[in-house]
Amino acid sequence: MLLSKLRQALICLLAGKVTLSYPAKPRPPEEGFRGYPEVDVNKCIGCGACAAVCPARLIKIEDVDQTTRRMTRLLERCVFCGRCAEVCPEDAITMSKQFELTSDQARQDLTHVCEVFMATCKRCGRCYEPATPLDRIMEPGFRHDQIDRGGDRCPYPELRAPDSESPSTDEHDEHDEHLDEPVSAQVAQVVEAK
Amino acid sequence: MTTQELATQLQERFDAEQGEPDGLASPGWLSVTVCSDRLLDAIRWLWEDAGYRFLISAGSDLRRERGKYLVTNLFAQDEHGIYLAVHTEVDPEQPSIPSITPIVPAANWTERELRDMIGVVPEGHPDPRRLVLADDWPEDLYPLRWDVEHGIKPPPSDCQVPREPPPEGSSVVPLGPYFPSLEEPAYFRLFVEGEEVVGADYRGFYNHRGIEKMGCSVLTYNQIPFIAERICGICGCVHSTAYCQAVERAAGIEIPERAKYIRTIMLELERMQSHLLWLGIAGHIVGFDTVLMQTWRMREPIMWLSEKLSGNRRVYGGNIIGGVRLDIPTEVHQDVLDMLDKLETEWKALYKSIPGDTSLMARLRGTGVLPHELAVERCVVGPTARGSGVAIDTRLDHPYAAYDRLEFEKCVHDGCDNLSRTLVRLDETLVSIGLIRQALQQMPDGPILTQIDEDIPGGFEGFSGVEAPRGEVVHWVLTGDENRPTRWRPRAPTYANLQVVPPMLKGSQLADAPINIASFDPCFSCTDRMEVVDMRTDDEYD
Amino acid sequence: MAGYESGLKVTQMTLALNLVIALLLGPLMAGVVRKFVRARLHSRQGPPVLQPFYDICKLLGKEDLRSSSSPIVDFAPIVVMAATITAALLTPMGMRSPLAGHGDLIVFVNLVTIAVVGTVMVGLSSASPYSLIGAAREIMMHIMVEPVLVICLIVAAVKAQSLLFWHMAEGATAGGMSISMVIATIAMLMAMQAQIGKQPFDIAEAETEVMGGAFVELSGPRLALFQWASFARQIVYASMLAAIFIPWGIDLAPPWNLGAHLLKLLGVYVLVGIVDVVHPRIRVEQAIKFFVIIIVLSLIGLGLAIGGY
Repeated sequence: MLLSKLRQALICLLAGKVTLSYPAKPRPPEEGFRGYPEVDVNKCIGCGACAAVCPARLIKIEDVDQTTRRMTRLLERCVFCGRCAEVCPEDAITMSKQFELTSDQARQDLTHVCEVFMATCKRCGRCYEPATPLDRIMEPGFRHDQIDRGGDRCPYPELRAPDSESPSTDEHDEHDEHLDEPVSAQVAQVVEAK
Repeated sequence: MTTQELATQLQERFDAEQGEPDGLASPGWLSVTVCSDRLLDAIRWLWEDAGYRFLISAGSDLRRERGKYLVTNLFAQDEHGIYLAVHTEVDPEQPSIPSITPIVPAANWTERELRDMIGVVPEGHPDPRRLVLADDWPEDLYPLRWDVEHGIKPPPSDCQVPREPPPEGSSVVPLGPYFPSLEEPAYFRLFVEGEEVVGADYRGFYNHRGIEKMGCSVLTYNQIPFIAERICGICGCVHSTAYCQAVERAAGIEIPERAKYIRTIMLELERMQSHLLWLGIAGHIVGFDTVLMQTWRMREPIMWLSEKLSGNRRVYGGNIIGGVRLDIPTEVHQDVLDMLDKLETEWKALYKSIPGDTSLMARLRGTGVLPHELAVERCVVGPTARGSGVAIDTRLDHPYAAYDRLEFEKCVHDGCDNLSRTLVRLDETLVSIGLIRQALQQMPDGPILTQIDEDIPGGFEGFSGVEAPRGEVVHWVLTGDENRPTRWRPRAPTYANLQVVPPMLKGSQLADAPINIASFDPCFSCTDRMEVVDMRTDDEYD
Repeated sequence: MAGYESGLKVTQMTLALNLVIALLLGPLMAGVVRKFVRARLHSRQGPPVLQPFYDICKLLGKEDLRSSSSPIVDFAPIVVMAATITAALLTPMGMRSPLAGHGDLIVFVNLVTIAVVGTVMVGLSSASPYSLIGAAREIMMHIMVEPVLVICLIVAAVKAQSLLFWHMAEGATAGGMSISMVIATIAMLMAMQAQIGKQPFDIAEAETEVMGGAFVELSGPRLALFQWASFARQIVYASMLAAIFIPWGIDLAPPWNLGAHLLKLLGVYVLVGIVDVVHPRIRVEQAIKFFVIIIVLSLIGLGLAIGGY
């Protein structure tokens, strides 16, 4: 009995003081920790790949008008799986090390709204839905600097102008150069509540 | 007995058709269909003569696909390593099925759930009260039917779930719905005479999050593992592993060897931290806070290591269908081994100091007795069963991941009391340390993820059992067409273990009730997983 | 020693002294033990030493909510506090107690019982089953623990041939240790944990079983009074043990006898704190078995004392 108690006391005393004065001195997270997902709005192209894989379904994508795509993230629902960062083709999402997200107004503080300026289909005036997000990026007319080319692959053929014709190869070459340009033409805007 | 012999026997005795719904026959897995007239005979034969252990039953609404409800009873035969699914088709015009609870007492809850969620009435059930749904849920709305939308909020009804009246001369002491020593909501009504508990009634399922419904209505195959991992706050990895294995089995996907080892390592890390966590909580409940502080201190390096390996302390998020997302590179092997060495030293010191502690023994030895026969009859699993001398361990009986290539033994104690269950967990932690060492040594190089190019076909059936820290986790998946399962039925170990608590509490001391309940390591939110409405979800986001 | 006969002035001083020790040193000692014994053995930082004061102040400043309309809830905290303070004034704390000439062992035992009865009444006035169980356990523990205290004090009274505590303390100091006093001291030490409600006898309040027992329905200022009285009661019991059963240092010159008493108190607190940390809570019937042994032990001590040993 006494021996056992002494053993226990020894275990306790040998360990020393292990707790931290937490709010004052938090323990730094390990390398690769998945915390609050931060979105670089200048890189986001509005492809929606993150919304497609998100298990918590917290990313809502809506086209508020012909040129604006709004992505609303309700991050209070986030499960920090990091799938969005994994699939993002532009590496716009990084899992930060921030984990202290408690708030008395979580709905406001953890809602992140990102508006991406998108191109409009010149023929029908709508955004069109290519088969996969990656197709969407490749789609001419997706980026602002390619507006002139859009429309030929619009999935609403009944709205297509009857005299529609395929773009010539010359035009293709011209635009391939533009593809390498930085995405400066995009206007990204963040509406982030404090 | 092989699955083929079993299929022949069932065919001869009960006209059981093999291979419905999908014709998947592999070693260790058999699926048969029995018509509802012969169901009871078949179940009686399996339960009484063939030594089968009941796992769970699942009701699926297949009215769209086949115009029928499908009721599936799942069994396990641990000696021969066989999992068996017995399907019965139910006519939607007459949604009822003979109740198997009078034969298999362990089916009590799952049949009540069948009635609540699908609306198939088990005829002749001894306790047909509502189990899963909230008191104010309308009577005739069955959440898991396909035509009930996810996220609906029906107007509250005034249905009252009747409570068991206390026996003459006893008073009721509530343990819950919120109780300081139970970290989650659960409502035990203890019938007490003086300090002695003479009976108990349980009402639970307060922690509904609609996970099953979400899995069958709004999520896709590869979103579910991350939600499945959140079924449990402590042992989530077992759920995502079991789900992924079930889908992989259904779709016939073979995952890379390395992924199997990584899954094994993560599962064992989880088992160690869970057992240490449990020991701390058990200490806290008997008023021995030093145990809580010290075991949680020992547990902390495991959490740091998990964070390093997976990016998160607890929810690793590593499993997806076809393998794993996170590699364990060679650079961190040494970190893992160092942690294991340190933990082993401390663990052995702790182990030595416990048996001599008479005051702790006074609380553990001879309390919370779960007799061997009761444990077998109610099909309890995990350390709860092994503490009562039932030698079942999914890792050895039905090997999965890389366990068939590792050497270890079952930890069984036959004291049937709180002490035995504690010792089983203590032993298992040491076994886990050994398993991780072996796995790290044997782990082959190679890819960690199988690329899946084709869609997962609909109408196939997949099943997997995984030994969680608390017992056997069972996931049954029926694949569907819209990139999501038609039916996904997870069963947490506590679902089986909790049913035995009321009979076990009878005759114990009131002061022992919290530790007796806690000695099962109950995880109420795992058990309560299914419910339709996700109250935290905004309608517009669904 | 001459100072004690100088009358009113000294009495006022010791009055203030005993009050300060009971009301301020009680929480402080509890804070010290929590920080330097309990937290140390738990391998954690621990709360500030003054945390018990912060807790009491916070509770005193809270809204006065009540769950029962019974007048008991109004009076009990005050009665318990008053009884405890009066008992503290009867207790020798290094120096002669201020009410030394006005009350003896019998008054003291009654006061202590009043304090327990107050707690039990509050428990019984609530409809909560935890509160009722807590009150029942409180009575049970009191019935088992009180005889030990009384018998041990009677041993000291027999040895000193007086019912006044100061005589007992002086008698023990002058007469040295006898067999009966050693047995009584051991019994008192073993009963100490239960008297001040520490593990393994934290049965009546058992937070993880009955959520604080009799106090479960109390909040705010009333709870603060109960907690404060409980800290004071710990000091009273520890002082009794230190002054009468560890009889060294009482005959020192005035500031030093007080110092010696405080040292002894600290020793008792640390010992109790360590035992508290390394034990789980035991069940009521296990506690009863344990106390039957202690009562028998103290009765043997009493027999020996009457026999002159």
